[in-house]
Amino acid sequence: MKKLLEISLGVVTSVGGFLEVGSLATAAQAGALFHFQLVWAILLGTICIIFLVEMAGRFAAVSKHTIADGIRERFGFNAFVWPLIGTLLLNFLVLSAEIGGASIAGELATGIGFRLWALPVALIAWLLLWKGTFGLIEKGVSLLGLITLCFVVAAVILKPEWTRVAAGSVPTLPHHDISTYWFMAVSILGASISPYLFMFYSAGAIEDKWDKSYLGTNRAIAGLGMSFGGTISISVLIVAALVLGGNGITQVDDYHQLPLMLTPVFGFWGFALFVASLGIACFGATVEIALQQGYLVAQGFGWRWGEDRKPRDDPGFAMVYTFTLFAAAIPIALGLDPLKLTIFTMALTAASLPLTVVPFLFLLNDEAYMGEHRNGVISNAAVLFIIALGFILAVVTIPLQIFGGS
Amino acid sequence: MHVIRDVLDKQIVDRNHVKIGKVDGVVARLRQGKPPRIVAVEIGSIALARRLGRVPGRWMAILATKLGGDRHANPHRVAWSKVRTIGLEIELDIDARETAILDWQVWLRDHIVRRIPGA
Repeated sequence: MKKLLEISLGVVTSVGGFLEVGSLATAAQAGALFHFQLVWAILLGTICIIFLVEMAGRFAAVSKHTIADGIRERFGFNAFVWPLIGTLLLNFLVLSAEIGGASIAGELATGIGFRLWALPVALIAWLLLWKGTFGLIEKGVSLLGLITLCFVVAAVILKPEWTRVAAGSVPTLPHHDISTYWFMAVSILGASISPYLFMFYSAGAIEDKWDKSYLGTNRAIAGLGMSFGGTISISVLIVAALVLGGNGITQVDDYHQLPLMLTPVFGFWGFALFVASLGIACFGATVEIALQQGYLVAQGFGWRWGEDRKPRDDPGFAMVYTFTLFAAAIPIALGLDPLKLTIFTMALTAASLPLTVVPFLFLLNDEAYMGEHRNGVISNAAVLFIIALGFILAVVTIPLQIFGGS
Repeated sequence: MHVIRDVLDKQIVDRNHVKIGKVDGVVARLRQGKPPRIVAVEIGSIALARRLGRVPGRWMAILATKLGGDRHANPHRVAWSKVRTIGLEIELDIDARETAILDWQVWLRDHIVRRIPGA
């Protein structure tokens, strides 16, 4: 019974935490321009993230190491430096994009320009980290995130032709905008397979003191939580296809076009639901990514860390998230376009995958860490596939940024 | 035991189980005709920077001396005899508060973190 409760809570938190500015924006753009044709990219990304999250959780539960600890210990500092710098920079960009998304929600709600919202958003997120506990952040913020389920409700009410949605789960070539099509596919994959997600998950497993008895729980949370999360992303794509694409809006290049998505279904409340979803989803991700920056640095250098401690007990850790949060708010406060930043960052995330995923291949097969819980054939095949996918994406992303980007 | 695999880059805690860093370097003494002997572990930014190369090591030493004074001009070393256990973490029989290793965290706490309300 206790396990069941734990699993449901875990699933709920990962569902609530799944949708963020990247998956929302890429799914909406893809739906508007290519109807259901890119459903396959969300499906593929979701399957990949299920495997990575399961492995990150299993690694933490069995070896009692976070992924960051594991990479440094197994490969040495000189190898660790690359994923460290890469992930820190990338997380910084994603964090900026999330602050941008939350600021846009602030603008839509009040009419006050998004630039003025960037610092207040960072301040509120910081206060939560400074004063809050891990449980409050993990459960509270993600519970609120369940509001994003309104996209699923809207998708069902709109009655799409489900056979055509299913047809989209098989990759096909479009008749128009071929480079944009691939660029969007890459961005969707980057938005779904976020390194911060599985690294945060492994740190969370350590914070929650997981051991081998949690392996079943871990599998259930990874599988169910990420699947439901992917369902929300597909719903966003369906709603965008039917409402935006259906009304002739095919180029989504401004966040202000998006709130209209839910109004045909929910009327005025659709606008409010969209703004709340955008705001909460982005705010939740802001808090998690800032925390992940603190975890990554503290774990990499062996400092004290833990969100349940007081900042004065781990000043290094607390200062990292404080600095990152406010620094990441600056580009938005200066007027950088949040949507452009989001799409650019998601494509870059996809290209950076080999850096963080290659270590999985070694860590999860190392008997010293994993004992009898090493990867099986299927998990290893999945990792190899994601690495190969990452390499291909890394090679194609740069030309696509130039020719297919917005 | 395998020095590179089982010691280097492992988490270090002191006798009060306070995390004080990772094993950033290992100091071995070469002996004529016998295998080298490990005499100490190194902790801190200078030891780390030296692993990246001679130039980063020199720059980090200059920076650390500027910021922290002579106490920080060299990597922090703890004698191998202080190692209590090697497992998930390496436990050293020292009290971190009596060393200079965490000086910068103490400085951060006293000069910045404490001044922010709610810490």
